[in-house]
Amino acid sequence: MQLSSDVLFSIASFPVTNTVITTLITDVVIVALVLVVGRAVSLRPKGTQNAVEAVVGYFREITESIAGEERASYIYPWVVSFFLFIVISNLLAQFPGFESIKFHTLASDSHGVPLFRAATSDLNLTLALAVVSVTATHCLSIRYTSLKSYIARFITFKLFPAFLFLGILEFTNEFAKFVSFSFRLFGNIYAGEKVMATMYNLCPFGLPVPFIALELMVAVVQAMVFALLTMTFMHIMTDKSH
Amino acid sequence: MGIIQRFGLEAKLFLFQIINFLVIVFVLKKFLYTPLKRILDERKNKIDQSLRDAESAKIALENAGEEKKKILLEAKSSADKLAASAKISIDEAKEKAVAEAKQRSEQILDDAKYKAVEEFENMNKQIGKMSLDISGKVISKVLSDLFTDDEKQKLMTRALEKIDEQITN
Repeated sequence: MQLSSDVLFSIASFPVTNTVITTLITDVVIVALVLVVGRAVSLRPKGTQNAVEAVVGYFREITESIAGEERASYIYPWVVSFFLFIVISNLLAQFPGFESIKFHTLASDSHGVPLFRAATSDLNLTLALAVVSVTATHCLSIRYTSLKSYIARFITFKLFPAFLFLGILEFTNEFAKFVSFSFRLFGNIYAGEKVMATMYNLCPFGLPVPFIALELMVAVVQAMVFALLTMTFMHIMTDKSH
Repeated sequence: MGIIQRFGLEAKLFLFQIINFLVIVFVLKKFLYTPLKRILDERKNKIDQSLRDAESAKIALENAGEEKKKILLEAKSSADKLAASAKISIDEAKEKAVAEAKQRSEQILDDAKYKAVEEFENMNKQIGKMSLDISGKVISKVLSDLFTDDEKQKLMTRALEKIDEQITN
């Protein structure tokens, strides 16, 4: 299993990889969820609405407890979206035999390449999510604190040169977020897949079971970490007193 | 560049993932979070309203209990007053009836006495008349042989006058 995803075919020079396929499946699951729940919400929830309400309600409450009711109303949609997208994508990869279905391309060897691969084990996706998270955080900061106070976070001449140095550190910190967000998620999921592949090779029966449980936990925990870090950064960046 | 290629970073894929995720966020926000938020707020309002109603009902129940006690006390007080006044009325009526009966009996007794006296006087008068008739008859019988008609008449008249005086006295 290589670090990069495998290109299955191309559509007008756009490379369709196995992680793109999994991303599209994740999209389909999310849209199905929206159609099932969003179109028939009722005061007495049941089934899927209960589960979705629990997730949305949990993140909404936790955001309100940290950022207050007003700011939570524009922070929590981002947080829940990151969580749902990442957790669904991660859990899809835990289906038995997910990577066993092979696809033969001109470039592949006789074994072919996996048709599906965990979407979050592709750095293109995790980096894209990191860029969206950090950019959304900065946009919200400008919108809710004003451009002047946003710039003052990075460039200020108060107590020169101490605060200017702090501003440079802050600036560096923002770039570090791209790396930490993207590589944490990518590293955990990719490493998990590697571990699972190794266990299946060592002993396909019994041995992978505890690791499946571990990976299921990692799938949820990594989605939580990404979502909660986004919420924390959004809270800090939209706080006028910060 | 070697590291970027090794991780499979591709500008087109990267842009596709950004656009894809933004579309997902839009869909979720528009078609899931908005109706869910509406429902959650509506439910929260209903729960708050129900709690307020329950609190009001509890207070109303407490007030009703106090009102009930107050009404019962008032009713008991009124009943006691009514019973007391009824007892007084009964006693008064009883006394009045006794007094009336006594008065009536006295009146009947008086009437009886008056009638008895009247009867007695009437009887006396009748007895006097009867005595006068008998005396006249006895005198005329006794004197019819001794005196003339004129003397008889005079004597009789005088005797009758005397008897009459006697009766009258």
